[in-house]
Amino acid sequence: MTANVPEPLLALSGVNTFYGQAQVHFDLSITVARGHIVCLLGGNASGKSTTMKIILGLVKPRSGEVTFDGASLIGLSTPQIVRRGIASVPEARRLFADMSVRENILMGAFVRNDRDAVAQDLDRMLTLFPKLGQRLSQRAGSLSGGEQQMVAMARALMSRPRMIVMDEPTMGLSPLYVDRVLELIRTINQEGVSVFMVEQNASLALEIAHEAYVLQTGKIVLSGPARALKDDPRVRDAYLGGSEAA
Amino acid sequence: MSSWLDYTINGLIVGNVYALVAVGLALIFGVSRLINFAQGSIYLVGAYIGWVAVVQLHTPLPLTIIVVAAAAAVVGLIIERFGLRPLQNSVRIAPLLATIGISFVLDQLVMLTFSPNPRALPSQLPDVRFQVGGGTIGPLDLLIAGVGLTSALLLFVFLRYSKLGWAVRAASQDRDAAMQMGVDVNRVNQAVFGIAAALGGVSGMLVGMYYNQIDTAMSLQATLKGVVAEVVGGAGNVPGAVIGSLLLGLVESYGVAVFGTSYRNLFAFLLLVVVLVLRPNGLFASARQAPPEPLTGTFIAPSRPVRIPRWALLAAAAIFAVLPFFPVSFYVLQTLINAWLLGMLALSLTLVAGTMGQVSLGHAALLAIGAYTSALLSLTLSVPVGLAVIGGGLMSAALGTLLISPSFRLRGHYVSIATLAIGEIVSLVILNWESVTRGPIGISGIPPLSLFGYDLISPSSIYWFSFAVMVVLALLQGRLLGSHLGRSFRAIRDDDIAARAYGLSLNRYKSLAFIFGGFAAGVSGGIAAHLYSYINHETFNTQQSILALTVVILGGLGNVVGAIVGAVALVGLPEVFRIAAEYRILIYGIVLLLLVRFRPQGLLGTI
Repeated sequence: MTANVPEPLLALSGVNTFYGQAQVHFDLSITVARGHIVCLLGGNASGKSTTMKIILGLVKPRSGEVTFDGASLIGLSTPQIVRRGIASVPEARRLFADMSVRENILMGAFVRNDRDAVAQDLDRMLTLFPKLGQRLSQRAGSLSGGEQQMVAMARALMSRPRMIVMDEPTMGLSPLYVDRVLELIRTINQEGVSVFMVEQNASLALEIAHEAYVLQTGKIVLSGPARALKDDPRVRDAYLGGSEAA
Repeated sequence: MSSWLDYTINGLIVGNVYALVAVGLALIFGVSRLINFAQGSIYLVGAYIGWVAVVQLHTPLPLTIIVVAAAAAVVGLIIERFGLRPLQNSVRIAPLLATIGISFVLDQLVMLTFSPNPRALPSQLPDVRFQVGGGTIGPLDLLIAGVGLTSALLLFVFLRYSKLGWAVRAASQDRDAAMQMGVDVNRVNQAVFGIAAALGGVSGMLVGMYYNQIDTAMSLQATLKGVVAEVVGGAGNVPGAVIGSLLLGLVESYGVAVFGTSYRNLFAFLLLVVVLVLRPNGLFASARQAPPEPLTGTFIAPSRPVRIPRWALLAAAAIFAVLPFFPVSFYVLQTLINAWLLGMLALSLTLVAGTMGQVSLGHAALLAIGAYTSALLSLTLSVPVGLAVIGGGLMSAALGTLLISPSFRLRGHYVSIATLAIGEIVSLVILNWESVTRGPIGISGIPPLSLFGYDLISPSSIYWFSFAVMVVLALLQGRLLGSHLGRSFRAIRDDDIAARAYGLSLNRYKSLAFIFGGFAAGVSGGIAAHLYSYINHETFNTQQSILALTVVILGGLGNVVGAIVGAVALVGLPEVFRIAAEYRILIYGIVLLLLVRFRPQGLLGTI
């Protein structure tokens, strides 16, 4: 713990994951520093989403360690992990389609028991996501994709997490909403929430991330500060269409 | 003379009772995507607890209701904790089969404790009737309506305003997402099972009071009606389940008004089949609701079948073939004849449920069709018995496939419900179509088995005949599984979307599977008819369908040798251990539960 390297909030070390016979992760190690945005890049079937499921306890690794704030998460159930301070914005949003927008956002505060503070946080969400104000009593399933993403983010913030994990937060959104979502991730981060996001869209993710990892068929092939990776020819070739364009 | 208003009131009251069962089923289906076949057993338990409270403890009515609700809830919690929670990560069909096993066990325990004889359950309410318009209404009607409305209100408040209620709703819309909000799904399951069981138990007690009679046959009927109401309303939809129940109550009541009491259930199941065909997601499920999860792929416990060397099979067949030459008792031969007949049914079901993936819960209907056809052909048209049995097989193949075809477009649990309903419809048609089937009297004096003019009366000749037929069917089925057709069947089972993408016509292959399976089951039924010399609409019942399913799972789904081994084991072992008849169903239920929990691939493995 040297002075200029912040103590990691989340650390995966030596994780090996299997689906039946097939190995998904090979000796995976990732750290998320306190207050940082860390991005995991990778193509289809690289094991990105599984990494998120490992953190949330939805999938159990065969070996390896996962710690959050110094304490192991291995063996904890998903609800227990959520109570430790990790919130999630799942892939494809996964809102509770038949519940209202208000109910969806409040579900995010399920682990909390301080009613008054929850009510205040709901108001705070409406200033952060002003569009949702008119939609509160609407069925969540009736919103557009971009609006649903806003609800999913508000829902995640309602638990007052120390870290949010996001699975492809810009997937399927219009360019306008993509910018908006990235902007919000930055805002959330500036308020002190660490972010771990999984993305396919490397150029966008590297815009806002502090560090990034590149995952290929279950192995980390590259990692480092986002700025450096952005200029790395290997990343450009693989994800930004560098050589193909030339 | 009852008025239309009376029938309407009766329909609504009965519908209210169904609603108490169906709402519980809907809650459970919502959270676990599981049709809880043990719901009717909890209803039965509720009725008997009510009887103990009223008749032996003389509790006042309000206390009786509370006692029944609490005791039933405890039963529900036990089922959830010990029956279903251990199966959370097993194959999708496992919890469904477990609830069937639990239901057998509970029903038999009640029967063994209280005897199968009906008992009176007095309502403790004054026997007066008030004039309302052209009809009358009694205090019990009002009580049932009151309990129904109060429960609905409490449930609404719970789901809308309590934290646990929110968790239930969230989990039923997206289980994984709910967990990521910190919802403990096990607690949600507990809550849902507790509530469902309390409502179901109270419902059973009220029905007992309504008819002033309780007996163990109530269980299956309640499950069936609850499932019908729930599916009609849209599986997993709680308000839909209430409306579906009231609709079911009215349809039955008007059906009874026009056609008579024995038509009550026929209308219920016809309503179900019509709804499944026209709107498989129920009347009130909107398009947005996620379709029931396809149960293909991980449907059957994957395993490698146990390889049995050819010489061992030949040796076993030879031993069984020469068995009657040895001084074995009539009793042993009789037992093995039953095993061969059950073996044929299991061959049929293992093809349909194992190889094709269509878990049929109404397979006894195929027996019934074969039996009645063969019996009537030989009795009324004097067709030689040998030909009549084949006729039974053909009729079962044709009619069975035709009847089951509406379920071809359904998937997973819905197939099971549809086949269960179709099985009930066949039995009810037999009961009501008196001019052909002789209705409730049944058919007696069916001529004994005969072949080329020689009557097969000695036990050994019947033994050889049934053994030979079963072996031929098994050989045919073995050839079928190795053929291109067999591979197509398994392809559809494992991934029907991919199979369709490769140009396989699902309907054609499902039809072929049911035609082949229908023939085997029909032949089994036909032989049984000539063996018993008397059959009626209850000879081939749902219990037999479930027994066949247990046999098939015991042997290993899709496994031809397994089906026969399973049949010999389940028929033979209770005889070997001299287990009294009333304990057998209990044993079958326990075997099913243990299999699902510890060896879902069966003894010989799935194919």
